[in-house]
Amino acid sequence: MATLTALPTRVLKIHPTRCTGCLRCEIACSYQQTGEFQPAKSVIRVSPFEGHTSYAPYTCTQCAEGWCMTACPVGAITISAVGAKDVMDDKCVGCKLCTIACPYGTMFYDTATRKAFKCNLCGGEPACAEACPTAAITYEETATSDWLADFANERGLPLLNGGAR
Amino acid sequence: MPARHLIIGGGTAGINAIRTLREEEREKSQITLVSAERPYSRMVLPYYLDKSIAEFHVFTATASVLAGWDVVTHLGRRAANLDVKANTCTLDDGTTIEYDDCLIATGSSPVRAPVPGTDGASVHSFWTLEQARGVIAQVKPGTHVVMVGAGFISFTILNSILALGARLTIVEIAPRILPRMVDDTGAGLVQQWLEKSGVTIRTGSAVTAVEDARGKKRLRFKSGGDVTGDVVIMATGIRTNLEWLKDSGITIKRGIVVDEQQRSNVPNVYAAGDVAEGKDVVTGESAVHAIEPTAQEHGRVAGANMAGKSVRYRGSLLANIVEVCHLDVASFGAWEDTKAHAITGLRKDRPAYRKLLFKGDRMTGAIILGPSSDIWTTNDVGMLKGLVQSGVSLGRWKAHLEKNPFDIKPAYIASRATGTLLPETVLGRPSKAPGDTPVAV
Repeated sequence: MATLTALPTRVLKIHPTRCTGCLRCEIACSYQQTGEFQPAKSVIRVSPFEGHTSYAPYTCTQCAEGWCMTACPVGAITISAVGAKDVMDDKCVGCKLCTIACPYGTMFYDTATRKAFKCNLCGGEPACAEACPTAAITYEETATSDWLADFANERGLPLLNGGAR
Repeated sequence: MPARHLIIGGGTAGINAIRTLREEEREKSQITLVSAERPYSRMVLPYYLDKSIAEFHVFTATASVLAGWDVVTHLGRRAANLDVKANTCTLDDGTTIEYDDCLIATGSSPVRAPVPGTDGASVHSFWTLEQARGVIAQVKPGTHVVMVGAGFISFTILNSILALGARLTIVEIAPRILPRMVDDTGAGLVQQWLEKSGVTIRTGSAVTAVEDARGKKRLRFKSGGDVTGDVVIMATGIRTNLEWLKDSGITIKRGIVVDEQQRSNVPNVYAAGDVAEGKDVVTGESAVHAIEPTAQEHGRVAGANMAGKSVRYRGSLLANIVEVCHLDVASFGAWEDTKAHAITGLRKDRPAYRKLLFKGDRMTGAIILGPSSDIWTTNDVGMLKGLVQSGVSLGRWKAHLEKNPFDIKPAYIASRATGTLLPETVLGRPSKAPGDTPVAV
């Protein structure tokens, strides 16, 4: 059982300066995850910065604690073979405890199926990374990290200063 | 001789403690569980009530799981007495169990308002599985259900009752609904939303009697105006199960006072969940947080320490969420703090509401309300939790939130909440998946 942690772990690395805001990752993600071409059903979310002149995708970091997983009262969130925290639909009852447990805001809830959903790395072939034309999302063997803070800090200045800088 | 651990209570705290004990221990110990009921999750009973899951789905540690963990069980039994000098626990059937250390995780029970007639037929509590079965047997399409109490418990089953095709009236003694979960503005929005969804709500209504009325139940009120229904559900609060420890020598204030390792004043007696009064991560003060996430974290921390690890708990975070008729309502931390600086944003027509509370430039509490179909609301729920949990300095981003209380995400990302939270784990190591617990040999 413990062999899972011995596998090399690949994560989604975000390179925000490469993002063009084309939303292909969202389209690819929603199709892979839910069978619909609908950005609103994507578990990777592109955010605009600097008045929609720069963008950055944001998604689950597959954190070590797995707050969603430990919070689930029915053990419906597990660690998949590729190290992703993954919701098992047949076990999830839709109680939303995971949505208040995840401190990153990367849990989602489908009102139609009444189930939680989240990034599961598409079983090791993440559609977002594959769809990104500028390699702003890469799937790499590296430690997970806060990919966006520096970018957001720089890009946020005009937002804070009313466009003065 | 292997260490003998006694776990009293088979709810979330107790089961998490057992699992963590088996994950963390170096040498196999002897674990005994005393539980009044077969272990199940109260959190999922509303989904059993609305028939979206079968009954077997509610059980957490089944007989085969407990056998796999090699746990000696006393199910259907309650602890009656704890002798902390002799290190023994006596059960209600007279059985005496010796322990080296023990965990008290006896949870809470529902309390019915002291009103004549609430012990009659067709008057229910909704807390245990047995009580859930009682409600299921009586609620049919067209049944008029009257719920007494407009708090968290009644709101968790509100959707289920409506889904069964029943008509619903909620009566509440306080001037407004959800008094322990949201502020006046939030409560007003929820009430309007529910009324639009066909729920009748009467606030400021103190029930004085529940009477039989030709096969129905009639509720009388101090302010007059009877309400007649088919089934009454009393959701008038819970009380922690601590009476049995009255003369045990264990220090109890609002709950069993515990240190950062979940130890009581008696070093080999631990407490977790609803019965434990531990540190509040936001205020630093001691508090009872009778919520599922606290029970889970308390249980794991207690289990790790009982296994011989030294794990200090950072403190629990008050967090609640309930969805009623596709409206999400959540609150975090010190949302009720009147001394904190509060930023609010309101979009009445949506409806959407944010209340962000600050000490300096750190967020100490939050209320969030919005349609559950808004991805935005769900994501913001988590980010607000992260901001309160991490306590990151928002610096100039606080001014941004002041102007744009609905634009949480850039402030969250730029304040480095993610980087602050990533190294944090409850047990000081990556969590294991459910089912990954090594089976004791």
